[in-house]
Amino acid sequence: MNQLIYNAAVWLDNTEWSTRIHESYYLYNWIESTHVLTLMLSLGILFLIDMRMLGWAFADISANKLATRLNTPMLLGFVVMFVTGILLVYAVPVRSAQSVWFRIKIGLLIICAINALLFHRKMTASIGSWDFEPRAPKALRVGALISLITWSVIVICGRFIAYDWFDCNYPQSDLIRGIAGCIDGQTQF
Amino acid sequence: MIFSLILNYRKTLCSGLFFVVLVSFLFSESITSSHLAVLPIFEWMETTWFGVAGKTWGALFAVVQAGHLIGLGVLGGSVIASDGRLLGLFKGLPMRLVVDRCHSIFTWSLGLLVATGVFMACGVAIKIYYMPVYWYKMLALALGVLFVFFIRKPIVDRDLDKVSPWLLRLLALSSIMIWFTVAATGRWIGFS
Repeated sequence: MNQLIYNAAVWLDNTEWSTRIHESYYLYNWIESTHVLTLMLSLGILFLIDMRMLGWAFADISANKLATRLNTPMLLGFVVMFVTGILLVYAVPVRSAQSVWFRIKIGLLIICAINALLFHRKMTASIGSWDFEPRAPKALRVGALISLITWSVIVICGRFIAYDWFDCNYPQSDLIRGIAGCIDGQTQF
Repeated sequence: MIFSLILNYRKTLCSGLFFVVLVSFLFSESITSSHLAVLPIFEWMETTWFGVAGKTWGALFAVVQAGHLIGLGVLGGSVIASDGRLLGLFKGLPMRLVVDRCHSIFTWSLGLLVATGVFMACGVAIKIYYMPVYWYKMLALALGVLFVFFIRKPIVDRDLDKVSPWLLRLLALSSIMIWFTVAATGRWIGFS
């Protein structure tokens, strides 16, 4: 599996546009800046909705209306983040594919996606009964808390990707090499 | 007429005047000597516990950076929700409640941003001292804080039905632009 990921990353790395993005100071920084600044639209609004569910904010505003109205800009933010995130990985594919932090981040993103689906389903099913209650029912509060924690850890992992503490081109423990998927004798990093 | 206008908008006028003085000072000759005068403060910042910890423990610095980003996200979310509502978006949500509740969240997230920002600045104090973009960010931040607490807040605290919708839209657009500038200059520091 790791060999397959490595081969795919090397193939991407050899494409013309990967090199262009990587070697263009301005293009790479524009993409990265857009990725970071879109946090205000995506994560910021998601956290507002989560805080409403937990009763930490907007307790006197209809939870359903708040979530519905803020859903569109939030999703727009996540789409921009997703596209710019893919471009950032595409610019540095081999290092990203073998980054411990990137792999943890992807795992957490999958957890977040499942949590969001379950949250949406439970919210749709139960909304009429508690819309103006200060706090959402327990199942939704748990979902909101999972969302807050996992997204915070995702931001931390995203920041850690920039650091080379656990990069495969340095001596690493077997555990780190296993998680990062380092390939023995690899020629490209 | 003029007297009542000055009386009604005294905070706004004072803030505007203060900002004009600040910008005039920044683009005047005396900025060079003032810039040199604050160097010892930045040298001292690197010797503080925050400065030593920031330089010694890279992981701690990165976690604080992540906290700064989360603070930025929440601040941005509150600005978008509140100013979006003032712009006439998110219809159905009560404007008064959204603006008031968002202001509390804004204040908390600004506190988090300042706290994490001070820690980060201590870790790389001398480096940022020589970066023009760092001073641009501080200028934008000062403008943002003045704008929110002395211009926007006094106006949105009034009965919103009696305030001109165009003034509310102008406030919202200015607020979004100012905080986007603060965030963008912050990001610019990252790759300077």
